[in-house]
Amino acid sequence: MTTPILIEIAVGDPSAADGTGAVSLVDAVRIAAAAEASGVTALRLLDAGTDAAILDASVVAAHLAGRTDDLGYLVDVPTTHHAPYNVARRILSFDRAAGGRAGVVLRPGTGDEVSDAAVPDASASDPGERWAEYARIVTRLWESFPREALLGDQEAAIVADDTLIRPIAHVGRFYRVAGPLDGPSSVQGRPVLVAAPDGAVDWATIATSADVVVVDGDHVAGADAALTAALDQAGRRRDEVALVGRRVPGDDLVTWAGDHRLDAAALRPTGGIDDVLRVIEALAPLLDGRDATLRGRLGLGAPVAVA
Amino acid sequence: MTRQLHVNVNILNAGVFGGSWRLPGTDGLASYSIEHYTSIAKKAEEAKLDAVFLADGPQLDPSIRHRTGNNLEPTTVLARIAAQTERIGLIATLSSSYNDPVEVARRLGDLDHVSGGRFGWNVVTTAGGVAAANFGRAGEPDHGLRYRRAAAFVEQVVATWHEREHHLSPQGRPVVVQAGGSSDGKRLASRVGEVIFSAEQDIDKARAFRDELRAGAAEFGRDPDEIAVLPGLSTVLGSTEAEAKERRELLDEILPDAYARGRLAGQLGFSLDGLADDEPIPAELLRDPDAAGGSQTFYRVVKDIIDRDNPTLRQLLKKLSGGGGHRIVVGTPEQVADDIERWWRHGAADGFNVMPDVLPSGFDDFADHLIPVLQRRGLFRTDYDETTLRGHLGLGLPPVPTNIWDRPLEAAR
Repeated sequence: MTTPILIEIAVGDPSAADGTGAVSLVDAVRIAAAAEASGVTALRLLDAGTDAAILDASVVAAHLAGRTDDLGYLVDVPTTHHAPYNVARRILSFDRAAGGRAGVVLRPGTGDEVSDAAVPDASASDPGERWAEYARIVTRLWESFPREALLGDQEAAIVADDTLIRPIAHVGRFYRVAGPLDGPSSVQGRPVLVAAPDGAVDWATIATSADVVVVDGDHVAGADAALTAALDQAGRRRDEVALVGRRVPGDDLVTWAGDHRLDAAALRPTGGIDDVLRVIEALAPLLDGRDATLRGRLGLGAPVAVA
Repeated sequence: MTRQLHVNVNILNAGVFGGSWRLPGTDGLASYSIEHYTSIAKKAEEAKLDAVFLADGPQLDPSIRHRTGNNLEPTTVLARIAAQTERIGLIATLSSSYNDPVEVARRLGDLDHVSGGRFGWNVVTTAGGVAAANFGRAGEPDHGLRYRRAAAFVEQVVATWHEREHHLSPQGRPVVVQAGGSSDGKRLASRVGEVIFSAEQDIDKARAFRDELRAGAAEFGRDPDEIAVLPGLSTVLGSTEAEAKERRELLDEILPDAYARGRLAGQLGFSLDGLADDEPIPAELLRDPDAAGGSQTFYRVVKDIIDRDNPTLRQLLKKLSGGGGHRIVVGTPEQVADDIERWWRHGAADGFNVMPDVLPSGFDDFADHLIPVLQRRGLFRTDYDETTLRGHLGLGLPPVPTNIWDRPLEAAR
């Protein structure tokens, strides 16, 4: 029984004052190759959006995926400065290019210049509430163009059955989004939606919207109990969501994950590139065969439709 | 520096014609997979093209029932292509209407850095209520407002690039590409455009357009040689002229009629229902292009064809072949190379944004058979001398444009 492992990196300028812990793009390429060789489930590209020393996570992920074969990727994206239609589209495009092995770590934040100008309710301000609405929008957009709608029937001259492609017609407090997207949904059903809350998003919201939740430090103990209770309230099963604990690399990884009933572990290795590569290579015996999709690797079944 | 011919390939999903996806022997849904884009880009690099270009818009085109369309977000596609190529330029279309300028400046600057200085941004405004509704609006903002926003948007983004402290680009900052042929679009192009895509059917009009832009640039204190004007060129190639014509005829035959009519109606801004196929479109339905909403460029192209040829509706549909109004050249590689050379020598173009009839086969023919003709004639590079997009295009790094518009950036409402 193997514990899926994610490796987290921030890619950018390590020499910058605010680039602590960043790895260069050249090193990131080596890390991705090592992670893939070891059987790591996915690479998470960290990005708060505000740090100029860190490169845009979606650009880095798409670039690295051009050099790996079946490594999974999670891309950090804040709600700040990003209209939900654009993010839904960009993440699904990346997922399609990555063979159904991608997801987004949606970070709570504020709005974007385009959406703010047309905001339905100017009094709406709670970041947790915004996150919940945003998560719902991207999830529904990812379902708006079913794969089976794409026919490519040359003889009948039908590219797609447009009766199966439906707008989402979302009207909320923070956003109004019609949809649908312009490309078919993921082979894994939907890209993985990850919550990595920093206090702004509560368990109830996570339980309603997330496929994966990442917790660290003091929050690991008790997380399984909190998640289980919240999922029960939301009418979802515990196995519909993967609980990921963040920690430093160590020998007791598997026991630790078992003790806290974690579904996966996320490691952020520090030190020079050689140390990082050593840590990743040492993981190989713990990791065993990978499912074709990111959902599969995290033990998640096909997603339940929300539309 | 001696003047060089520049060639991009527009990886326009299945090809430029409405029936492209249906050509026998073509995988009609290839453009819904990433490999379509990466393999064409690699082929383009082998052929030493200046760049690949991706058109795009944040919406599902309602013509999806009968025609393939954009379906992959361009920066994710180009970031992947950057990892799998070394020299070829990478130009993406991103809307100034529906992106956050802070975010776009960062993402595109980072893509430029990651690619080693090969990125160009085609700045467009986005027409239509469908896109508007994806961003909470009831309808599109008017044409003038879209362009005023675009001007302020470009100024802010370019200034941000100039001020970057991390992840600098070997080419200084991305190349700014601009494609609108409206009066507003031309003004914006003269002010900030470095590569200008145009849609011209006639060699003398094309030369006049290029001259107008160069003169406009000079008025803004720019060096006219800092602009490259690249008309769109749809190519249909055959090993003989007869074979090429047959291919064109076939593409016309397999054009889904419903698609062609819908597209033309969209360009003209009115429904074609009830109009007779064997008669010209009634003149009273056709407005002044400057008063048109939507895309004024393509309205203008269609109107010019109508004014010049007075075609019946059926003839007009056939002429456009659902291809949107770019010039279509049909022939052998030598014949099409003659045409390219003639336009370039006449000063009607600095090069072309090539839109092959069908992808990938039409581009394979272009790369394998037409590029070598241009190379033999000494018109086109046989290898890359430069590593950046600016380098391939022979563009320097102009000063940062300021005071393009005298008000702060306004979000279109």
